[in-house]
Amino acid sequence: MPSEETKERIFKAVELGRTVIHYGWIPFIIYIGYSRSNPQPSLIKLISPLA
Amino acid sequence: MAAYPPSLSTVEPAIASPAPSSSASKSSNVFHRIASWRYSLGLPNPGSVENLQKEVKSTLLTNFFFDGGRADLSKSLSVNPIFQVTHSFALGSQTAAPSYNFGAVFANNSVFLQGSVDHEGNVNGRLNQGWSANNVTKAQCQLSSQVGHSMLQAEHDYQGQDYSVNVKAINPSPVDATGIYMASYMQSFTKNLALGVELLHQRPAPDMTETAASYLAKYTGTDKNWIATAQLQPAGMLQATYWQKLSEKVEVAADLQVIAAPGRRDAIATLGTKYDLRMSTFRAQLDSTGKVSALLEQRFAPSFAFLVSGEIDHFKNAAKVGVGVMIESPSMTPEEMNSMMQMSMPPTPPQ
Repeated sequence: MPSEETKERIFKAVELGRTVIHYGWIPFIIYIGYSRSNPQPSLIKLISPLA
Repeated sequence: MAAYPPSLSTVEPAIASPAPSSSASKSSNVFHRIASWRYSLGLPNPGSVENLQKEVKSTLLTNFFFDGGRADLSKSLSVNPIFQVTHSFALGSQTAAPSYNFGAVFANNSVFLQGSVDHEGNVNGRLNQGWSANNVTKAQCQLSSQVGHSMLQAEHDYQGQDYSVNVKAINPSPVDATGIYMASYMQSFTKNLALGVELLHQRPAPDMTETAASYLAKYTGTDKNWIATAQLQPAGMLQATYWQKLSEKVEVAADLQVIAAPGRRDAIATLGTKYDLRMSTFRAQLDSTGKVSALLEQRFAPSFAFLVSGEIDHFKNAAKVGVGVMIESPSMTPEEMNSMMQMSMPPTPPQ
């Protein structure tokens, strides 16, 4: 059984990971897609629904 | 090249020379004979437990119905690897609040990444990593700024020659191992019949555990144009489905859900049909709660589709109507798109 301190640390790490995924997941996919696409699209087409 | 012959020479004697202990060789011999006998039966893979009712779900209207107004603007930015962004707007639904949703998909032959975020900042994410053709690890999450609405699910799928295995963990906690854990196994017994079992282990608190098993059966017609499934869940729940492909363009499906718990007896039957025409898809459905519904998906051009849906609840005397448009705007000109398509087939991401 982990000690209270370890538990606290794991809990904080999980919270941090959750926050990172929450704000980083969509930018991560866009970055991966943008950098690997063939041919590379223009940025405005990526974001705007009308362009 | 230089490393290849030496590695071969180290492997070969291990196979050719008799194993040191005779009991080990005997048991491995038995194992090989069973494996080759099993292989000679030529049983098909039964499909994963998750996809048990895939055909029925894609034929019935339940998962496609919407009401109010809807617009989906999707942009395909790359064909190989697949890269798409989608803007979805929904308005005027009787059941859901108006919403805006942005989605992004990236996929190649081994990775599938999907994410969507709505106007309230809730993020849905999905990641499939295919290690080989029949080994896929999946992760799914729902992240919300509200406390207690987040969900994380990790699973691994293995499709054997005549069986499928899946293990899944929902919200596992590394501190006290609370969460929901699921394991399922499905095995083909004849060319048509497959049976399976799914174990659900719930651990909402460290000192509270609950395990339940549900049983599955799937019977596929010999020429694969009809499928019947049954799923018996704990607490007296039974779901039976039947799906048949009547012709190239017409599919029908029936679904029966029975709850026979002490103190609660209920059943719902649903009957649906799907027509896949050249430029449109039409689904119609009738269920035993008195609902009649239909959905027409009409493509006017390859990149423009128009959707109309309607539902009448005859017992409650209520109706719902929905209209929607789906616009796909390619980032390339049609000529560029065609040449790209000829150059490289779109990848098939792990599902």
